[in-house]
Amino acid sequence: MTPVILAGLGLLLAGPVAGALARATWPAQVPRAAIVLWQSISLAAVLAVLGAGLSLGLRIVTHPSPSTLEIVAHLLVMALTLLVLARLVWASVRVAVRTRAARRRHRMLVDLLASHDGTDGAERQAGSCAHGIREMSGLRILSEPTPLAYCLPGLGRSRVVLSDGTLDHLDRAELEAVLAHERAHLRARHDLVVEAFTALCEAFPRLVRSRTTLQQTRLLIEMLADDAARRRVGAGAVARALVTLAGARPPEPVAGLAASGQGTVARVRRLAEPEASRPVLSMACYLASAAILGLPTVAVAVPWLAGVVEALAR
Amino acid sequence: MADMSRLGSLEREVMEQIWSASKPISVREVHENLARNRDIAYTTVMTVLDRLAKKSVVRRIRDGRAYRYEAVATKDQMVADLMHEALADAGGKAGRQAALVRFVDQVSPEEAKALREALEKLERRGDAR
Repeated sequence: MTPVILAGLGLLLAGPVAGALARATWPAQVPRAAIVLWQSISLAAVLAVLGAGLSLGLRIVTHPSPSTLEIVAHLLVMALTLLVLARLVWASVRVAVRTRAARRRHRMLVDLLASHDGTDGAERQAGSCAHGIREMSGLRILSEPTPLAYCLPGLGRSRVVLSDGTLDHLDRAELEAVLAHERAHLRARHDLVVEAFTALCEAFPRLVRSRTTLQQTRLLIEMLADDAARRRVGAGAVARALVTLAGARPPEPVAGLAASGQGTVARVRRLAEPEASRPVLSMACYLASAAILGLPTVAVAVPWLAGVVEALAR
Repeated sequence: MADMSRLGSLEREVMEQIWSASKPISVREVHENLARNRDIAYTTVMTVLDRLAKKSVVRRIRDGRAYRYEAVATKDQMVADLMHEALADAGGKAGRQAALVRFVDQVSPEEAKALREALEKLERRGDAR
């Protein structure tokens, strides 16, 4: 029974459960807890599928007198399971290496091409603003009229990059909103969360909901950073910065744009509501995360392990 | 660390020299320009140019027994390329977009309308600063 239960659980989590969570509107009220829930669901699904394969494959060990066919079949299942695991590990390594290489090169170019503290670009916009942002280390301003704001994460080497166009389009409070938002990303290393889901998505691109999962967690992370900025400068400034920068250039016709555009609308609508404090909802979310990860382990894996140990000891 | 940032600002200065030169420039010329307002060793300039060549932002051109250096692109072009890379959208490769985190993505005209409406609603509520 163990393999069936585990496989069923894995599919349930990766399919309907992830789907329902993606459609739900409440995660936006508790972004932090919802991110934990997404992580828990994904990890539990992966572990359940791996567990199903391993328990099925290892069954041969406890079999009293296996035929050759049975041995081959079980070895095949084992090999398949290990292949899934190898694929996941390989994708994680590949994403980590590629991300860091791209980041390193981008950071090198930004450092070379930017003015360092925005004094030459920002001063004409607002002296006080340049004064406010100069104290921030890792800020780079590119002389480019296209408005753009992003951050390059990295331990001790992070950068926040703005363009002259951004300084031209935003007032002081809006600029502070952008900076607070980016600082929140960098401080909490949100990129690591995204990286893990990127690896999952790359390892199993056609896994039922891996792309949805990636998109949803990305959006929740943006909302989390929006909240940090809102607490600093108020919801109005954050929303105005979002709307100004999102509509500053005509969009390029590329796939996936619609989803991110919808996400931006959701972010601004969310800012229009007073910041919700939902301790019960977030606590429920954390408990569910712990249960999703913990219950299968306790209820399924432990008896199975005990069975294996017992059979081996005999 | 202080040394690294000093090298970094030196690299930027050297790049500015290369960008503003009308033709490939020699180590000696860069050194002469920099040495006008500071004390700097010739070998330091050589090291910096070597680093820049390794980063593929300048090209080395053989000139007799020495090298001359030129930028692989104008500064404006390089900024434009960098921006283009930063804008490469979510439709692209997943790993590329994990490198940097954008504040906000571009939206379609319909979404821009929805955004403005949501903003109006927020401003009407009056808690906008």
